[in-house]
Amino acid sequence: MIEIKNVSKSYPNGVEALFDVNIHIGKEEFVFIVGPSGAGKTTLMKMLYREELPNSGTVIVDRINVTELLPEQVPYLRRAIGVVFQDYKLLPRRTVYENVAFALQVTGAARSQIRRHTMQALELVNMLKRASSFPEELSGGEKQRVCIARAIVNNPTLLLADEPTGNLDPTTSWEIMELLDKINRRNTTVLVSTHNKSIVDSMKRRVVQLEGGRIMRDQQLGSYNQV
Amino acid sequence: MKLFGDIEFFVVEAFRGVRRSGVMSLVAIGIVTVSLFIFGLFLLFMVNLGNMVAEMGTRLDIVAYVEKAVTPDEAAAITEKLSHITGVEKVRYVSREEAWRSFRDDFTQKLDLATIVGENPLPDSFAIKVRTPDILPKVAEAVAQYPEVDEVRYSGKLIKQIQTLIDALRLGGMVLVVLLFFATLLIVVNTIRLTVLARETDIYIMKLVGATRSFIRWPFVIEGVLIGVLGGLFGILILKPSYDAVTNRLQVGLPFLPLMTDKFTLNVIYLVVGISGMLLGMLGGYISVSRLLKEK
Ligand SMILES: Nc1ncnc2c1ncn2[C@@H]1O[C@H](COP(=O)(O)OP(=O)(O)O)[C@@H](O)[C@H]1O
Ligand SMILES: [Mg+2]
Repeated sequence: MIEIKNVSKSYPNGVEALFDVNIHIGKEEFVFIVGPSGAGKTTLMKMLYREELPNSGTVIVDRINVTELLPEQVPYLRRAIGVVFQDYKLLPRRTVYENVAFALQVTGAARSQIRRHTMQALELVNMLKRASSFPEELSGGEKQRVCIARAIVNNPTLLLADEPTGNLDPTTSWEIMELLDKINRRNTTVLVSTHNKSIVDSMKRRVVQLEGGRIMRDQQLGSYNQV
Repeated sequence: MKLFGDIEFFVVEAFRGVRRSGVMSLVAIGIVTVSLFIFGLFLLFMVNLGNMVAEMGTRLDIVAYVEKAVTPDEAAAITEKLSHITGVEKVRYVSREEAWRSFRDDFTQKLDLATIVGENPLPDSFAIKVRTPDILPKVAEAVAQYPEVDEVRYSGKLIKQIQTLIDALRLGGMVLVVLLFFATLLIVVNTIRLTVLARETDIYIMKLVGATRSFIRWPFVIEGVLIGVLGGLFGILILKPSYDAVTNRLQVGLPFLPLMTDKFTLNVIYLVVGISGMLLGMLGGYISVSRLLKEK
């Protein structure tokens, strides 16, 4: 599903965010990316949906060579990837329903499909009853559910969640993580970056640890810290 | 169904954009109005100038004098020959008697030349009308080649001077129009850029979920079209009555002035003004969002 080979990335300001990173992630895996702030977790994810390009190395997602994609092909890569943010990035002037439907609308989906898929996604994240609320009327956890619904509404094969529980209390964090786990069990590859030690430790999934742009550890059934 | 859904999305977003940028949108529409008004004035001015030159050209004849008096048969033969020169519209034989008569009619009151000269000093001549004034020199040269023709006269110098003046005016006008175009485009781009900035998150999300660049662009292009078309419409609404008023005045004061009043031509000009507004707006919308659409 994901093949990251010898990827190095330095930003124009000279910061080396990733250094010779190699990761292989299979279909339908659930992987935690852990590491301190500035370790390169966000950069790694941006590389997958081509918000950033590596300076060297190759990135392959779902058999698509991301590094060699022409600009006009990029939208089609992104339709195969859902992205969830720590700060939700919901559109404030649109309702919950409109925020989720937006992702289908702007990719030119048919109207009947938009309605059906939006309802299904809201149902899955348990936000159907709040469909006509505006983002500012929602709690953090609810906003994150909407963000997840938007990310999965077009049925991506890969879901990226960049510190999805960074702004949430422990209980809500667990709910969100369980939701991501549920999505993973519906045959979606899920990549989650997080600082949440207790969740990582108890979920016992594959853990990739980054530090200073390098991979320090890549462990199946891992925990937050090396044991 | 899908296409209608998309179009509905574009139009709704475009109207939201115009409304969100409120005052700035009005300013942009106003500036487009003024620019297109000036552009329209320029077009009308050029068309009228062209009209005047054409009119003048048809009044200007080439006069070919022959050496001696010709018989009616010879006159007919020469008329026939001259008519075959390309660009010649009409050839008329003017006998020396006729020329003398009209000369005396024109000048008797002012001048006592007729009585001074006494008898008719004029030769027979042929008055040649050409189709367009710019070919006067060429036709004159061709006429001079005929052995029967002794001397050719036409006011070529005047025509040339007027043509030079018109060319200069046209060039100056075009430079003005180009400058006006870029200044107006800049305003339109910056107005729509306000919407673009207010929509940065929307655009980011659109890119993230895989909207194509053209899809993201459409609402902004339509917003530009709205501004451009409204500006064009207001421009025409000012231009048309202004022109009608001015031509009405001039026609009373200077009735001999050949003003352009042909409805069809005028409507074409107004249409050009309107379409220019639309294209200007489209281009402005297209440019305004381009920077955000670049992929790494
Ligand atoms: N757009 C950018 N321009 C310059 N430097 C950046 C940019 N984004 C991230 N960085 C730098 O790259 C490094 C890795 O950042 P990031 O991938 O955001 O780490 P993490 O998500 O693990 O906190 C940091 O030193 C950060 O300052
Ligand atoms: Mg980060």
